[in-house]
Amino acid sequence: MRQSRSSFDWRKITESKLFFPITALALILLFDLIIIPNFFRITFQQGHLYGNLIDILRNSTPVIALAIGMTLVIATGGVDLSVGAIMAIVSSVAALLMNPFVLGTQLQAIKNDPTYSYSPFWVVLLLPLIVATICGLWNGLLVTYGKIQPMVATLILMISGRGIAQLITNSQKIQIFYGPFVYIGNGWLLLPFSLYIVAFLCALAWLVTRRTSIGLFVESVGINARSSLFSGIDEKKVKLFAYMFCGFCAGIAGLIGTSNISTSDATSMGLNLELDAILAVVIGGTLLGGGGRFSLLASVIGALVMQAVTTSMYAIGVSANSILAVKGVVVILLILLYSQQVQDFIRKITGQTRMKETQS
Amino acid sequence: MMQSFGTFVSRNRRLLPVSATIILFFIAYAVGAVYLPGMRDTQVFLNLFNQSPYLLVAVIGETLVVISGGIDLSVGGIVALTSTASAALLRIGWSPWAVMLLMLALGTAMGAIMGYFITYLKVQPFIATLTGMWVGRGLAYTISNESIAIYDPIYVLLQRTKILIPGLSDVVTQKGAYITPSVAVAMIVFVVAIYMAHYTRFGRTIYSLGGNSGANEQSARLMGLPVNRTKVLVYTFNGFCSALAGIFLSIYTRSGQGLLGNTMELTVIAAVVIGGTTLAGGEGYVFGALFGVLITILIQTMIQIQGTLITWWTLITVGLITLFFIGLQSIIANLKIGQATGATISRAKRNQQVLLYGGGAVVVVVLAVFAFYILKGGSSSTKSSACQLKPFRQDQAVSLMKGGAVIAYERNGGANCIDELYGIYPDGRIVGDNGTQKIEKQVTPQQVETLLSFISNLGWFTDNMYTASHVPCGVCYTYFTSVAYKGQAKTISCVDGGTDCPSEYWLMTGQFSTILPKFAPAP
Repeated sequence: MRQSRSSFDWRKITESKLFFPITALALILLFDLIIIPNFFRITFQQGHLYGNLIDILRNSTPVIALAIGMTLVIATGGVDLSVGAIMAIVSSVAALLMNPFVLGTQLQAIKNDPTYSYSPFWVVLLLPLIVATICGLWNGLLVTYGKIQPMVATLILMISGRGIAQLITNSQKIQIFYGPFVYIGNGWLLLPFSLYIVAFLCALAWLVTRRTSIGLFVESVGINARSSLFSGIDEKKVKLFAYMFCGFCAGIAGLIGTSNISTSDATSMGLNLELDAILAVVIGGTLLGGGGRFSLLASVIGALVMQAVTTSMYAIGVSANSILAVKGVVVILLILLYSQQVQDFIRKITGQTRMKETQS
Repeated sequence: MMQSFGTFVSRNRRLLPVSATIILFFIAYAVGAVYLPGMRDTQVFLNLFNQSPYLLVAVIGETLVVISGGIDLSVGGIVALTSTASAALLRIGWSPWAVMLLMLALGTAMGAIMGYFITYLKVQPFIATLTGMWVGRGLAYTISNESIAIYDPIYVLLQRTKILIPGLSDVVTQKGAYITPSVAVAMIVFVVAIYMAHYTRFGRTIYSLGGNSGANEQSARLMGLPVNRTKVLVYTFNGFCSALAGIFLSIYTRSGQGLLGNTMELTVIAAVVIGGTTLAGGEGYVFGALFGVLITILIQTMIQIQGTLITWWTLITVGLITLFFIGLQSIIANLKIGQATGATISRAKRNQQVLLYGGGAVVVVVLAVFAFYILKGGSSSTKSSACQLKPFRQDQAVSLMKGGAVIAYERNGGANCIDELYGIYPDGRIVGDNGTQKIEKQVTPQQVETLLSFISNLGWFTDNMYTASHVPCGVCYTYFTSVAYKGQAKTISCVDGGTDCPSEYWLMTGQFSTILPKFAPAP
């Protein structure tokens, strides 16, 4: 206990959940600082802020939203592969509500009328989110009452979700012109509007998990479901909540993503984003497969790391398609930071005395 | 009687998923054959194999990985990389055999690296192989952003050669039931993998690793089994299989591009599950992989032949069948626990049963809807069948050819029942007529000459190119192409959506689409 009394405690810092994600983000930004001129320049045009950093924030909003939900699911010891497919379903539902011309011959495709929407705005927002939450409920039911491995249970929706999304819009892309909806992903209030939504979602998630005992329940279920059961925590309800919340977050991500491109695109909406989200959570230090302690903030930073890598590659001039390769290499290097070997090494240089204490 | 049947089932419950798969396959095929006359052809059955050698090898490798308790998402990435890299190397004149060997080595090396990361650096299989997928696909795009066509004679030969089935074919005319060389190689891999999994020490070690959420791996380690080596080898073998799948796919499509094998890992994992392997590991049969693949391809084929259902039904059906099998497996797993601990689990068992019946009901409903559409000919499903098929205009095409055109090309049908007739003249003039409007376009005479020699090089005037017409499906196109070149003239018609047309035909229509003018879509 001598160590923790000292004013500048390396060990405490390195043990923190936030240490690795922030280190990773710092490494990438440092790389940008050295390699790319003007990467950090932020300009002020027409009352809005622009720049690479703002780009990273703006483009990462869907992944942040996904990562928040995914954190809870992974903390319960599960994983949700279907979030990308849920985004596609949400995209189709929302577009259909605004412009349901694919359903009937009497309806005309709306061209360029930002004031028209078939359903009122609150329905356009609410119904997709409800659908997304029901998708989450389906996953949760399979995992809890079906006792199916999470990876497998959510795989089903991952496979068929995109097909369902195509069915909803009769495999057509629906363009969206409705002004208020387009504003979600494209509006600016000094900062991109979607950032405020995600910040709100993050605050909500933090309040729900940390100001009530739900967060504690989630962690305890993740660490040991059986002993939580014995201490009176209904493991099934906790997991059900996590998956439903994850579906809800995927719904928000889907709305933002759809608004971003102003089109319902069942084929590519959220494609591979579940992988980004999972990696964001893993970079955030929540253990995939193990579950247990989680940190929402660390996951958010993880999502920013993922996006920072992409944006930096664009800034260097790597072509859009080749980015995947670079991203793969960077991610595996970041993940290696968590490996036992590296952890031991860091422990060796920061907390040698403590190590000896525990050994003796 | 029931008692003894129950005992029999519970004694052999490990075989239950795989037998269910096999039975489902044959039932589905029989139902299809009753309602879709096109499926009664022997060749359509063999085409299930001809279309799937790449999927089969990939699923074999993945099955072993899953049995060992891991998962490999990198299949699609390695397929994309090997196909693109081989197409690029062939383009600069490498020997095809060297290319194939190099690609196999590349895939194997990638598998080994991922295995090393997973085993020794303790990276989650999910993450290590996911980054493997990204690296593979990213490198493929780095090599080329576009599709590279393969003209290498060996690849052409491998694609075209038909291994005729004795008794079902005529050796002299080379017509009849056949499989491709890729299928033969895939079958060899299949047999080798079965031998490896069930009759070698390596195989038994793989089985001992999976299951019981990692605890079995611990026990295997304590027993002194070579756990680390086996794990690395399993991923290495899957890398090899993925590379082989990439080669097969580049032979099948005669091209390489970064998009090949997109979301293939999903299909592969679904096929593994349908094939009766538990994703928790430790249980499953390589033998089931074959039927997992066949069911997946069968669903595709049925939807293709039926014609009016949108292809997205494939995904939904595969998803539901996967659900069904997962439900089945989890019930079996529970039966086992039930026997061990008795009544305490009975509630969970009841939940399982509710789930199975619920899931089964969903599957039945969807299959019923599916069958309903098939029976009704899908007349209410999409607007595609609402349009009137226009008559063919062959006499008009003949008069075009008489008027000096070197190519007359008619495209008829599709979702909107279009009927486009193009005439291409040697001076580069292209005229198009779709019944309601006429368009013209001028290209250089060189372009026409290049097109003609390309078509001629495809073997247009040889017996390799032949007319194959089956009844077109609801949204398929029928193509009539007449070509006159260097004193020879020949007309060949084909219907897409089928598998009986020479694949070079589609290489040709692909060339047309780059040169022909486009009609404005009908209002």
